[in-house]
Amino acid sequence: MSQCGRRRLPCSWLAHMYILRICMFKELLLRNTNKPRTQESNNAMSASLFNNIELLPPDALFGIKQRYGQDQRTTKVDLGIGAYRDNNGKPWVLPSVKAAEKLIHSDESYNHEYLGITGLPSLTSNAAKIIFGTQSAALQEDRVISVQSLSGTGALHIAAKFFSKFYPDKLVYLSKPTWANHTAIFENQGLKTTTYPYWANETKSLDLDGFLRAIQSAPEGSVFVLHSCAHNPTGLDPTNDQWAQIVDAIAAKNHVALFDTAYQGFATGDLDKDAYAVRLGVEKLSTVSPVFVCQSFAKNAGMYGERVGCFHLALTKQAQNKTIKPAVTSQLAKIIRSEVSNPPAYGAKIVAKLLETPELTEQWHKDMVTMSSRITTMRHALRDHLVKLATPGNWDHIVHQCGMFSFTGLTPHMVKRLEETHAVYLVASGRASIAGLNQGNVEYVAKAIDEVVRFYATEAKL
Amino acid sequence: MLRTRPFNWGLLRPYFTSSLCKVPRAPPDKVLGLSEHFKKDKNIHKIDLTVGIYKDAWGKVTTFPSVAKAQKLIDSHLELNKNLSYLPITGSKEFQENVMNFLFKESCPQFGPFYLAHDRISFVQTLSGTGALAVAAKFLALFISKDIWIPDPSWANHRNIFQNNGFENIHRYSYYKDGQIDIDGWIKQLKTLAHNQKKENDKQLHCIILHACCHNPTGLDPTKEQWKEIIDTIYELKMVPIVDMAYQGLESGDMLKDAYLMRLCLDVDRYPNWSNGVFLCQSFAKNMGLYGERVGSLSVITPATADDENLNPLQRGNSLQQNIDSQLKQIVRGMYSSPPGYGSRVVNVVLSNTKLKHQWFKDVEFMAQRLHYVRKEMFERLRWPDLINFAQQHGMFYYTRFNPRQVEVLKNKFSVYLTGDGRLSLSGVNDSNIDYLCEALDAVSKMSEIA
Repeated sequence: MSQCGRRRLPCSWLAHMYILRICMFKELLLRNTNKPRTQESNNAMSASLFNNIELLPPDALFGIKQRYGQDQRTTKVDLGIGAYRDNNGKPWVLPSVKAAEKLIHSDESYNHEYLGITGLPSLTSNAAKIIFGTQSAALQEDRVISVQSLSGTGALHIAAKFFSKFYPDKLVYLSKPTWANHTAIFENQGLKTTTYPYWANETKSLDLDGFLRAIQSAPEGSVFVLHSCAHNPTGLDPTNDQWAQIVDAIAAKNHVALFDTAYQGFATGDLDKDAYAVRLGVEKLSTVSPVFVCQSFAKNAGMYGERVGCFHLALTKQAQNKTIKPAVTSQLAKIIRSEVSNPPAYGAKIVAKLLETPELTEQWHKDMVTMSSRITTMRHALRDHLVKLATPGNWDHIVHQCGMFSFTGLTPHMVKRLEETHAVYLVASGRASIAGLNQGNVEYVAKAIDEVVRFYATEAKL
Repeated sequence: MLRTRPFNWGLLRPYFTSSLCKVPRAPPDKVLGLSEHFKKDKNIHKIDLTVGIYKDAWGKVTTFPSVAKAQKLIDSHLELNKNLSYLPITGSKEFQENVMNFLFKESCPQFGPFYLAHDRISFVQTLSGTGALAVAAKFLALFISKDIWIPDPSWANHRNIFQNNGFENIHRYSYYKDGQIDIDGWIKQLKTLAHNQKKENDKQLHCIILHACCHNPTGLDPTKEQWKEIIDTIYELKMVPIVDMAYQGLESGDMLKDAYLMRLCLDVDRYPNWSNGVFLCQSFAKNMGLYGERVGSLSVITPATADDENLNPLQRGNSLQQNIDSQLKQIVRGMYSSPPGYGSRVVNVVLSNTKLKHQWFKDVEFMAQRLHYVRKEMFERLRWPDLINFAQQHGMFYYTRFNPRQVEVLKNKFSVYLTGDGRLSLSGVNDSNIDYLCEALDAVSKMSEIA
C-alpha cells in the first residue's frame, strides 16, 4: 500500500495531511481555472475500466505476518509463516551459507552480470543431483531438463504455464488440504484444479484409500501434484510402502506426477531419505510419463527471500529425447524470458557454492540436522506440555508429523481466540509452524491451546 | 478397491510421452543466444557488442563504486544482512519508500508529490524491467486491454512479454525510417486507429509502449517538443501508456533530467486525468549495474476517483488504489510469491545514504561520459554523422542500419557480434579494440554499397 507520503509525516499526520491536501487542491484548482477539470475527470472516471476492479482479501499468510508485526502485546508468538527460527525465535542464517557468502564476496571475479535465461548451470546441475541422486538413471541417461526458478512458487508457475500452453485441458489434482497458493498458481494460468483426499480428520492420518480411488477415477493423463516430503500443511507423509502404491496407481492411469519438493533435508535432516518419493516416482514412471519436480531452497538452505529454486523435468526413456529435450528447453526459456528475462543471481551463487564445495556441503548437512532436530524437540515439548495439562483430546499426531508444520486439529474459532486472547498466531486451518516454538515460549503456547480448547469444549456443552 | 497390476510396461501406452513430442522448438533468444556463440569463438580479436551491459574502458564488467560501497556496508553490518527472510509480496516497505521518493519526488518534483499525496500510485518491487512489464501485462490483460502497440523496431523481448502474458493483438507503430525517427508516421498511425475505431464504434482500449529515453535498439529519441505532440495524441485517444524506463541517467548522465517523459505524462495541467492509468516500468539493471540481481519496479498511476474530491482526512487511503494493489499482489503471489532480497537491499542502502547516492549520481555521469567518448572516437574513425547526433542519439546502443547479411558477415568474418537487427552495444568498445572494430564496420558498410 502506498502510504509513503504519509509515513514521512510526524505523528500528527492527520492534521498535516488535511492541510497538505487542501493546499495541493487549491493550487490545482487555481492552475486549472480555465479548464473544466472536475467535469472532465468525472466523465473520464465513468469511462475508466479501473472501476470494475474489486478488492481482493489480503493473502492469509502475509496478512498474519502483518497483524503480528502490529501487535503491541509483550508476549506474542508467530506460528504462521513457514520460516525457520532458532531457539531465540530469530531468523537463522545457516553457518554454511555465511561461509559461502564470504567465499563469493572474496572472489575477484564476483560481479552482478546477468545469468543465462535458464539460470546458473552450477546451481541447476548440482540441484538435480541432490534431488534425483547421483546414481539416478534419469541423470545418467541425460534425460533431465533443469532450469533455475524463483524458488518453489516460481518453479510451480513455470510448470503451470507449460501445461497451460501445451496441455490446457489437463485437470490438476491437489491434495486436500494443500498449500494455500497451489490453487492460485494453477488457476491463474487458466487450468482447472480439483482435489484428492489426503487427510482423514477423524483419525488424523492419511486417507490412503480415498487418495488411491481419486487417482483411479481421474481422467487418464491428469496431473497429480504431490508433496514429496513434509506435507504442507498437515506434516503427514505417506510411508515408503504407501508411496509405492500411489506411484503404481498413477502409472496405471498414465497420469503425470508433479512433485513439489520444498522441504528436502528439512523433514528428517537427511537429503536422501527426504528424496525417496521423487526418486521412486522417476524410476517407476520412466516409461509412462515425464515427471515434473519443483524444488525450493527456501527452507533447507534458509534462502527464503533470495528466491532460489529449480524446475526439473525428467523425460521418459525413449528415442525421441534427442529432439524433445532441446524443444522443451527452448519453450521453458521462452517462458522465463517473458516474465523475468533471467533469474536472480545472488542466492543462486550462494546455493551453487554450497553444493559444489565439499566442506560447505558437509557443513550444510549438519545445519539441516540442527534445524530438523530442533523442530523434533519442539514437537515433543509441545505434546508433553499438553499431556501434562491434560488438555482434552489426543495430541500424539504432533510428534508423528514431520517438517515445519503441524496440523493441530484446532478449529478456526480456536485459532481466532488464540490470536485475540493469547497473541498466538496461526493459520485458520489450524496449521502451526513448529519452527516458531522455542524453549522460551512452548509452555506459554501449550497453556494458550489448553485454554482455547477448554473454552470451546465448555461452550459446546452449553 | 485399487487394481494393482504387475508392471508390464509394454502394455502401457506412453500417453504423455508421445504428446511431449508435439512441443515445437522455440527460436533461441536473439540476444542471450549470441553470447553463447561468442564464448565459443576462437578469434583473438573477437568483440561482443550484443548484450546491454556496461563495460569499463578495459572491457571489464565492474561493480559501480557506489554499489561496491553499499555491498561493503551490507556485509559489515550484520543486522542488514543476516535476515534472508521473505520480503512482502510486493517488496519491502523501505524499498518502496526509497524508490517512490526517488521517482516521484526527486525525478518528478513538480507533480509527483500530488499523486503521492492522493495515494494514486500502486507500487510493486519487480524483477527488473522485464518483471515490471510482465506484471503490468498480466494486470492489463485481466482488466483493461489485450491490445498493445510496440514501436517498430523495439527491444525484441517486448513482443514476447506481451504475447506470453495475455495480450491477443500486438500492433507495431512506425518509429524509424531512413535513419530518422518517424514521428509523423507514428502519429498518423495512431490517428488512423482512432478514426477506424470511431467508424466501427469500437470501444476497445489500446496500450502503447514508450521508451522513456535511450530507445532500444535505435538509440534515437524524440525531442521534448515531439514528445509533447505524441503524448497529447495518446491522451486524446485515451490510450494506456506503458513507460519503459530502463536507462534513466544514461542519456544525459543526469539521473533526474532523464525522467522527462515521466514528468510530461504526470503533468496534471496538461493531462488532468489518465482515465485508464499510466504504467511506469523502471529498472536498476543498467543505471546501477545490478543486472543479474533483478531489481526494478512497477508504478501504476491510478485514475482520479470521487475519493479525490473528498477532502475528509479520516478516510483511510484511496480505495481504487487499494483494489489495484490487491490485484497486483495476487498476480505476483501466483508467479513467484515475493521478490528477491539482495539487490533491493543494495538499492536501499544506495538510495537512503546521502553520500552513496551522490556517488551513484557521479557513477552514472561517468558512464554516460564514457559512452559519449566512444561515439566521438568512432566518429573520428568512421565519419558517420549520426554517431555524433547528440541531440537525438542516446544511451548504450548505436543502430548501424546493417542488414542481417551484413551482421552475419561481421560475425563470421570479423568475429564482431551485433544483435541481428544491427544494434551495437557501445559499452563493449574500448581503446584496445576500437581500431579493429571500426575497420570491420567500415569494410562491412562498403559491402552494402556494392550490393
